[in-house]
Amino acid sequence: MTRTHPLLAAWAWLVYAFLYLPIVVLVVFSFNESRFGAEWTGFTTKWYGVLLGRADVRGALGHTLEVALLSTLVSTVLGTLTGLGLWRYTSRARAAVSTLLVLPIVIPDVVMGVMLLMFYAAVRAGLERAGWTFDNGFWTVLLAHVTFQISYVALTVRSRLSGYGPELEEAARDLGASAWQSFWRVVLPLAWPGVLAGALLAFTLSLDDFVVTYFTSGSGFQTLPVLIYTNVKRGVTPDINALSTLLILVTVVAILVANALLRPRGKG
Amino acid sequence: MTLRRGQRPLLALCALLSSCYRVDKPAGPAAAAAVPAGDGRTLRVFIWSEYMDPDIVGAFEKQSGARVILDTFESNEAMLAKLQGGGATYDLVVPSSYVVQTMVRAGLLQPLNRAQLPNLKNVAPEFLNPPYDPGNRYSVPYQYAATGLAYNKSRYVPRSSWAEIFGPEDRRSFVLLDDPREVIGAALKYLGHSANTADVAELRAARDLLRRTVAKKGFQGFDGGPGTRNKLLARQVDLGQIYVGDLLIATEENPQVQVLLPREGTTISMDTLVVLKRSPNPALAHRFINTLLDAEVGARLSNYTYYATPNAAARPLLDDFLKEIPALNPPPQWLQNGKLDFIDELPGRRAQRLYDRIWTELKSR
Repeated sequence: MTRTHPLLAAWAWLVYAFLYLPIVVLVVFSFNESRFGAEWTGFTTKWYGVLLGRADVRGALGHTLEVALLSTLVSTVLGTLTGLGLWRYTSRARAAVSTLLVLPIVIPDVVMGVMLLMFYAAVRAGLERAGWTFDNGFWTVLLAHVTFQISYVALTVRSRLSGYGPELEEAARDLGASAWQSFWRVVLPLAWPGVLAGALLAFTLSLDDFVVTYFTSGSGFQTLPVLIYTNVKRGVTPDINALSTLLILVTVVAILVANALLRPRGKG
Repeated sequence: MTLRRGQRPLLALCALLSSCYRVDKPAGPAAAAAVPAGDGRTLRVFIWSEYMDPDIVGAFEKQSGARVILDTFESNEAMLAKLQGGGATYDLVVPSSYVVQTMVRAGLLQPLNRAQLPNLKNVAPEFLNPPYDPGNRYSVPYQYAATGLAYNKSRYVPRSSWAEIFGPEDRRSFVLLDDPREVIGAALKYLGHSANTADVAELRAARDLLRRTVAKKGFQGFDGGPGTRNKLLARQVDLGQIYVGDLLIATEENPQVQVLLPREGTTISMDTLVVLKRSPNPALAHRFINTLLDAEVGARLSNYTYYATPNAAARPLLDDFLKEIPALNPPPQWLQNGKLDFIDELPGRRAQRLYDRIWTELKSR
């Protein structure tokens, strides 16, 4: 290994500063006395107290986590199966499925959100004619998230496997493994890092999503991003800074824990 | 109040698309029976953030035995797109005045039942029978804000005129509101025209003025209320176009920031209360509207939001701090003599296109 050129190192630090300074500012200002955050008017932890007292934030946090966990679970299973199918089978349908998978990734969120909104409205109109009613809420948001998450999971799984040919599975079958055994013992372990990466990606996307969630949620079901984003009209209050600080803390801890757990068998 | 650059046209397209599919088309009696009649126990409200005192909601819940759900939106356009798609069941919505007609035409609103709104008598006469909703058939005024010029008086005290921004001299740094109707409206007011004009010559003059304005050295870009407020607090700019309420909320913490209404006149945007046609609990919605029109409740609302109240009976009950600020309470004769213009829906598609073109040109500089 050669030593890094000092100019390159300086550049790297500059990039890091650019990426991380806003986060530092956010964390610092969550302890600022001022309601408007433009000037430092004194140290306080009161915004954390305000935050804990807000029922709407607690509710939104609950909704966000429920949707993120369940949609990740569903989309990981479905996405993994899709990814495996794309890897294993060669047919004319494969190209079509691949294209369909890319669609949710390239379509702008706004269009996706409104499309789903109209779809649900059509379904609801049909159901009402049959005498049933439903309101948009947890299930519609969950379904919407799954639709775009599947693509990400399937594509990561497929690209993870793209280096391996189907002969691996065939070899396992030659050695006497049943289809079931070769799936669990050979294919899935190979795909596992892709599955995990896809699941993490899906979880993050669900946690972050504003636009699709905004359009597909009904009344009384807001997630954190929707709550925060719709606050921009009158300005984000410092308790939201406190909330963001807590989220960053949780994320950092989660990453550290994941690293610690994965390291001993990190050969992939 | 606006979406990020570039998202607006996309959203407009979506709204257009979704309006092709009408959810509330008249259905047969069987279908009508299937729609939940409403249990009278839950009131669903769609509103801007930090625009409702939680104590008022709490008191109403206790008094009526109903649960109130408050969901928030961040722009009229996003709210409209969601409702036109039939995405959610709300009883009460708080749109700005200029979208009320659009909502009526889209068949989203039900006419209000005046018999259930005795407190309507509290509304000041100048805010009744507005151009955006003649006879208040569908809407009741909620809160409003004039658009003013904000400044930090430790740095500089401007004259009470739009000339501070639009005049020939270029010594001051300033920001304009990130909203086409407000920016073009201010230029029109400075030139002595209506902020809702469809006159091509007048609009051309406003366009030329705005071209010169955004070419000034002092022009610091377009921003929303909170951003402008923070820049003034941090003394990054001398002047900012702002909704009065958005600035006032900071004056208690820092009395150095102030706002004034230019003497040439300005625009006001009124937010309104409307009941959706699909509201499951219209009676409860009316009851809540009537509560909000109460003198004491109206005053509490303004004391919380720092926006102006159209409720004449509430005015004497406002905090002294709010009563003393002239920018919050424009002289009533300004509404009559044409100095103060409601931001109305534009007359016709042609005018809409002209405004759009001016705005696009300004933003793409």
